[in-house]
Amino acid sequence: MSELKFIKLIGEGDKEYKVSYEAAMVSPVLKTMLQSPFKENAGKVDLTKYSGDTLEKVCEYLEYKLRYQNADETEDIPEFDIPTELSVELLMVADYLNI
Amino acid sequence: MIYRGRNRSSRSNIKGPNSALTQFLQEEGISAETIRQRWLEQQQKSASASPAPGDGTANAAQADKVEDEREKSEALPSSDEEIILEKSSINLEKRMNLVQDDSDEEEYEDTSLTTISRSPSVVALDDELRKKRTREVLKTRQRKRKRAAKLLDRRTTKIATLQDMAIAKISESITSWEREKDQGENTVFAHLRDVLGGISIDNMNNLAKTLSKNRALDDKTLQLFLKTDLTDLAFHDCSKLSFEGYKTLAIFSPHLTKLSLQMCGQLNNESLLYIAEKLPNLTSLDLDGPFLINEDTWDTFFVEMKGRLKAFRISNTHRFNDKSLASLLVNCGEELVSLGLSRLDSISNYALLPQYLKNEHFHSLSLEYPFNEDDITDEVVINILGQVGKNLKTLVLDGCLELTDSMIINGMCAFLHDGNNCSLLETLSLAELDQITNDSLVYFFSEISLPHLVKCSLKRCLQVGDAAIIELMLNKGQQSLKELSLNSLKELTCEAFISLSCENLQSLDLGFVRCVDDKVIEEISSRNPNLELIDVFGDNLVTEKAKIKQRLVLIGRQSDSI
Repeated sequence: MSELKFIKLIGEGDKEYKVSYEAAMVSPVLKTMLQSPFKENAGKVDLTKYSGDTLEKVCEYLEYKLRYQNADETEDIPEFDIPTELSVELLMVADYLNI
Repeated sequence: MIYRGRNRSSRSNIKGPNSALTQFLQEEGISAETIRQRWLEQQQKSASASPAPGDGTANAAQADKVEDEREKSEALPSSDEEIILEKSSINLEKRMNLVQDDSDEEEYEDTSLTTISRSPSVVALDDELRKKRTREVLKTRQRKRKRAAKLLDRRTTKIATLQDMAIAKISESITSWEREKDQGENTVFAHLRDVLGGISIDNMNNLAKTLSKNRALDDKTLQLFLKTDLTDLAFHDCSKLSFEGYKTLAIFSPHLTKLSLQMCGQLNNESLLYIAEKLPNLTSLDLDGPFLINEDTWDTFFVEMKGRLKAFRISNTHRFNDKSLASLLVNCGEELVSLGLSRLDSISNYALLPQYLKNEHFHSLSLEYPFNEDDITDEVVINILGQVGKNLKTLVLDGCLELTDSMIINGMCAFLHDGNNCSLLETLSLAELDQITNDSLVYFFSEISLPHLVKCSLKRCLQVGDAAIIELMLNKGQQSLKELSLNSLKELTCEAFISLSCENLQSLDLGFVRCVDDKVIEEISSRNPNLELIDVFGDNLVTEKAKIKQRLVLIGRQSDSI
């Protein structure tokens, strides 16, 4: 299923959040899931325990990391902003996804 | 016109060569010369593009007015220029002169050029350019500073993990909440604690680390760690925890088995006994700087912990004396599997140790920086190793200056193995033992196989040279080694580094090894596939030209300084 272009993360209330396949590969957990023989390999990952705002931030981080992880030294890497009210929940998702 | 010019230059003399603007430009790194060049270019452009709208006579006619108004406008900062721009053309003319006046450079030339006035757009453009340049300079500086900060934090990856970022944010918020001290504070903490309860213990300790690093761990933030199932807790900076704090910790975290309290200056007799009493599962305690605890309390504590205490480490207190050590050994000596004594100024009787360390599973010994160097002699260490050497995983003898080759040959070589010349040693640190030489180390590394060796420090063993390193690379430890410190080994030459090739090596300290240059670094970079960090402080032959692989970070390079 590696020809998938986008992965959907399903958040609270079954809302879907899209993230590109390459960015999802940044998370070792998502990577294993998507390459597993289980149903996640269809490109939908169930994270309904977490709120939409958090997942949106997670997607943003995955893209951010993908974009800048190989940036050379002269390039400016912008700060990644985390809203205070999301920080605790983000920590838990990040812990889960190992990012 | 000429008169005016002179008049003006004399005025600016009163202002002095260092006007506020000049100072500002200097601080921002904009030199007068570049501005002047640009200004001259602008002048030429505007002169050739559009003939000046006003001429000298017009200027002269307005001279009086200008003189009057200058007093007012001079007080205006340059950022207000836009406002002035919108005023009458007379004002504009005057402003032009002022700008030249303000920029403070080449005022004599200005007088001849004042006849050519510029259109407002050119001025705006000039301003814009200048601002842009300032911004760029600032940006470059910021970038450099960021990089330097990253290097000092030993962060090898460019992007922090989301977990780190979130923890940083949480710590930040906790600190700001503390400052606000509003009545809702308690509920916020309660809420945060509820949510944090679901977080892995790993992250709990990460949070403790971040809080300590920010010096934000105190009785309030301590609440985050209470009422949890934590079994293992390490606080790296407890200087703000009061004795009440330690008591609450003991009461509300009853599951703790391992506790590490660094810089616990406020830990008093009462709270130490509380810890012994209220934490029934406690087996490992690491205290740094508990200087309020007196002799009697130590004695009571060790009696209380008898049969329970398996690992004990203490450092930086002058009140832990020979009697306290004896009490520790008499009461808990049989159970102890790990012992650390570092920078204890009142202890001299280290010879007591071999007698009591009898547990056959004893695995960690660290004796560091004794007050009198002759207290820890070859004989003492040889005797200890004779007792517990067989299963030793950690041996740290930093700063025991009295030790010589005899300790290595008659102690380490003789006892640090299971009978088949194979050792379980994982950490070996012999920092600052300036009496040990190549001979003994070569013998040790050739005789004893160290297949589990992960960390090895020969920092400032000044007599150690190439042969010891080459022999280490021939040992089995070469495959497992992750951390190696060769700091200040001035005898080393490039020879030693040709053989330096470890599959798993991650961090290498080559500070003040003067022979290290770009070539050596390139060599090391290509031979050690997993190497992430090299310390090169004081190695002035290492420059930015060294070609290293992308994941490798050099710390302490002169060319990286700001």
